[in-house]
Amino acid sequence: MRLSRIILPVGLSVLLVSFAASAQRRKSRVASSTKPAPVKPVVKPINTDDLKALISKQKDKPLLLNFWATWCDPCRDEFPDLVKIDGEFRPQSLDFVTVSLDEMTELTTGVPKFLVQMKATMPTFLLNVTDPEPAINAVDPKWQGDLPATFLYNEKGEVVFKHFGRVDTAELRTAIEKAVKKS
Amino acid sequence: MKKRNVSVLLAALLVLTAAAIAGSGRTNSEIPAPPAIGATIEEFSLPDVNGQDRTLKSIKGKNGTVLIFIAVQCPVSNAYNERMEKLATDYKSKGIAVVGINANGTEDAAAVKAHAAEKGLSFTILKDPGNKIADKLGATRTPEVYFLDGSNKLLYHGRIDNSQNPSAIESNDLKDALDSALAGKPIEKTEAKAFGCSIKRA
Repeated sequence: MRLSRIILPVGLSVLLVSFAASAQRRKSRVASSTKPAPVKPVVKPINTDDLKALISKQKDKPLLLNFWATWCDPCRDEFPDLVKIDGEFRPQSLDFVTVSLDEMTELTTGVPKFLVQMKATMPTFLLNVTDPEPAINAVDPKWQGDLPATFLYNEKGEVVFKHFGRVDTAELRTAIEKAVKKS
Repeated sequence: MKKRNVSVLLAALLVLTAAAIAGSGRTNSEIPAPPAIGATIEEFSLPDVNGQDRTLKSIKGKNGTVLIFIAVQCPVSNAYNERMEKLATDYKSKGIAVVGINANGTEDAAAVKAHAAEKGLSFTILKDPGNKIADKLGATRTPEVYFLDGSNKLLYHGRIDNSQNPSAIESNDLKDALDSALAGKPIEKTEAKAFGCSIKRA
């Protein structure tokens, strides 16, 4: 009699716990099966005026700007590092925007496809101009247009780091760390 | 024990070699600015794709020379192959020589020669090992043009035109510069920029 008093509550408890665990597993299975498919990144066209506005707008945090193209080998090579930097520093108040110099025909094809491959989620624009020179000069008159090109602006909008060609990730990280600490 | 020492030594050598390779390529941020318009480009000598040294004096045109930094693998440079070839053919009879220069450390003379044959580029192409001339001219991308007059004075620097897509050309900057120079008129636009592949410096 005494034994049954002990066994019964223990048995009931075990049953309850296993039922709860099984329900939790079912719930998580349902949750994972209804998880939305990865969203195809939206790449927006940008003209020279909008690019100027993007650079000169009042900032409350540092802005990293990377110019690239899917046809540019060093751009593709450095992109995984930039994606890591975005994941690491966006929570620390870094804005990161990329501008693709691909043809407009790649707006909904090659460029978003590449971003999906890279698991990149930063806002990306595609420069939509017939003459690229005003855009190049608006960013930096000393820039000849060689890709990739990377610029870091502090919260005051001043260029605190720039690099033409494949960026040195360590140098860029140091500059970003300094910029996010000051902002 | 000896075997272990050799392995350690080999591993250290591998690490050092990888570090040396990674650190050897200079970036375009470290390249001097291009010469000013009007500056005279000094005589130079570079090997052609057959390894034969060619001086600027031996390849220049009577009325001018167009030096174009080109590439084997750059899609932008390749988009201009036909336009560069046509330019070379059209202006040869007018005393202007077109000369290609490949300064990419990643593309050897054999690859440049094979590419020229495949793409039908008949103009002289030089290799610039160590980027000696690319550095002197401050060249950073492909294609990038330097138009010198008959006395090697720099008259125009920059792009061939505004678009790698032939159907979107609105500004024939290089051609306009050549025609103005040949007509004895001042060149309206002496510098023009476009996007291109960065030169892969050695």
